[in-house]
Parts: sequence; structure tokens; C-alpha cells
Amino acid sequence: MAVKFRDYYEVLGVPRTASADEIKRAYRQLARKHHPDLQPAAERAKAAERFKEINEAHEVLRDPDKRSKYDALGAGWKSGADFTPSPGGGEGAADAPEWEDLGGFSDFFASLFGRPTGRASRDGVRIMVPGSDVEAELPVTLEELLRGGRRRVTLGGSRSLDVEIPLGARAGSMLRLAGQGEPGAGGGPPGDLYLRLRLIPQPRFRAAGDDLEMDLPLWPWQAVLGADLRIETPDGPVTLKVPAGTQSGRRLRLRGRGLPRGDGGRGDLYAVVRIVVPARPSAAEREAYETLKRGASAPADRPAGE
Amino acid sequence: MKTPARTPLKVSIVNGPVRTELRMSADELAAAAGISPTMLARLVRLGLIEPAAEGSAEFTAASARRLRRMLRLRRDLGVNLTGAAIIVDLLERFERLEAELAHLRGGP
Repeated sequence: MAVKFRDYYEVLGVPRTASADEIKRAYRQLARKHHPDLQPAAERAKAAERFKEINEAHEVLRDPDKRSKYDALGAGWKSGADFTPSPGGGEGAADAPEWEDLGGFSDFFASLFGRPTGRASRDGVRIMVPGSDVEAELPVTLEELLRGGRRRVTLGGSRSLDVEIPLGARAGSMLRLAGQGEPGAGGGPPGDLYLRLRLIPQPRFRAAGDDLEMDLPLWPWQAVLGADLRIETPDGPVTLKVPAGTQSGRRLRLRGRGLPRGDGGRGDLYAVVRIVVPARPSAAEREAYETLKRGASAPADRPAGE
Repeated sequence: MKTPARTPLKVSIVNGPVRTELRMSADELAAAAGISPTMLARLVRLGLIEPAAEGSAEFTAASARRLRRMLRLRRDLGVNLTGAAIIVDLLERFERLEAELAHLRGGP
């Protein structure tokens, strides 16, 4: 089976006569530039592909045995040319291994040195490649943060996992699913999957640490006289006692109705008062306000400009 | 790496929930990164890895990602762990800014 020749010297950008030090330096330089961990999330997958090529070239050229075997092919090869392994090639040559089984090493590599395996092969090649970590965002509802739950997550369209959303998770929390990243090769462990939780915005409640906040619009008379109000909380409706003389912006606390903490406790829910005035008062309301205006004393804390 | 070998998933649907970690003990974190608990303790003393909260014995799952990243950078770039920690700090800051920018531009 023909595979595509890879010019490892070209990949590292060094001459065929390069010393071990030059190879190491070239590798380090390229690694600094193309290391997937250094790239923005959107470019990580592409960088990972390039980095695999760089790693493969380095793996061959840093090892005197592999390098001399590679050099023995001669200098006449062009990158990408059809290359038919000689019968004396690596063990992987005969069974045409699939790309996925090579942990990122090319079939060209396998045809020369055998498939990367945890055990030393006939050629004494022993490569363990750990799988890459994978990161993704997981949108969650407030309901899921409040009560936990199980969520089916599809990864790259190829497989699905049931992910448990633990109590104590927050927007921005990261979940680790050990060993659910990319598979390793040659006995190398698979990578991890990291899911960053993103809260799906909903109109009623805002999350702030362990606490939740909600708006509480009040009519002026409710704020002045106090009121018992039925309000919706994440745990269902409750009656909230608004004390007389409540100012706009005051935070009324409903203890223990916030987000669950890992230790079994819960944060608080705050109802933030916002006084609203009737935009189009009826004639009767107007009259009531006129009466109020005439009857109002001059409190010491009256607003400026009156 | 000392990480115990795990079987890669080849099936398309995994039945039942997979173990999900939000917080980890020191031993779990060390195992997740393939280092010894002694070495982890040293990294914590140096302030390169921080517990979930001050004085807590637990770590967040995000610190597993951070530590694994640091160890990969050390292995592939030849920087020491202090250098790797600085790189990861800067990368994390950059990622937060990226996310904020995407948000401001009306992204998800």
C-alpha cells in the first residue's frame, strides 16, 4: 500500500545535516508557535493538526535509530510523493492501520516504524501518546443549576454522553469528565473533556455567586404603606412582606432560596425594589394624587427641587 | 505519565451518566494530572495551583485543566512550571477577554 512521503526535515525547517541541538531548537521554536494550548479556542483544532506533524517529525529526527532509518530512504523524496514501504518496513505496513488508531502519527510513520504501541515493537519503537483534552461549552438552564440534573451532550456529532450537572455548579463553572476527551494511542490514556457551563439567560432571575436576584416592581402606595405580595420564586410562589416605607433599590432578602452550594446549604434570593408610577393615570388616580399633593406634609427627607 | 490507563470510548452512545467532577480532592487532582501528591503539594505551596477557596482542601475541576495544560507546556516547550503557570494565567485572561468580546459583539 502506498502512503504519502513526509519530509521531516522540511517540517522542522532544518537541513538534513542538522545536529541534535539544531533539531531541538527548531522543534522548540515551532512548538512555541503552534502549540494548541497557546492558540485561541477557535484555532486550536487546526493548530493541533499542525502540531502533530511537528511532533512526528521531532519524534523521528530526535531519535538516532529512527533518524538513520529514515535517512536510509535517501534524499530524493519529495513531500507528498507516493511511498511504497519495503517488505522490511515496520510492522504496521502490512495491516494498513487506520489513521485514528495512530494517535496522530501518519500512516507514513507507521509504515516505517510500526504502529505506536505501548510495548516495544520489533524495531524497539515504543510510543505512548496521551489523547488531547477537549473543551466545550454547555448551556444550562437556571432550573438545572437549582436542582441538578442529567443532560445528554453530543460531542462533534459523533457520540453522546449523559452528563450529570452537580449541585453547586454555577454559570462559568467547569466540569471535568475524566477520560472523555480524545483517545490516546499506544496505551496512552485518553484526554479529559472539560465543559464550561453557560447560563441560558431568562428574564426573571439573575445569578450573582450563590445568590439570585429578581426585580420587584412596586406601586408608590405599596412602597409607602407596605404590602403582602405573592411573588414567584424558583421554589414556587411565596408571600413576601414589604415593609411600610420601602425605598426604591432596597433589597428584600428571602433566606435560603438562592442557588444550592456543594455543602448542602443554599444562597439567598433578593427581591430588588423598583418603584413604578402609573404612566397613564386614570382620572380617579389623578385626583388621588392631587389630594396627596395637597395633603402631603413637608418631610425632612423630601426630594430636591420640590 | 502515571495516569491509570482508561479505555477509550468507541461506542456512539454511553449509557448512564459519566462521572462528572466539579470539585476534586488533592489526591484526585494529582492523579488527574499524573503527578504525585507530594509534587502537587509543592505546586500549591508555590502558589502555582490554588485551592477552590482559601483554606479549602478541595480544588475546582478547572484547576485540573490548568495543571494538565501547565504540564503539557513544560513537556513541549521546555519551560519550567513557574513559566508555564504564567503562560496559563495569561491565556486564561485572554480567553476571558475573548469571551467578553464575543458577548459584546452579540455572539452567544
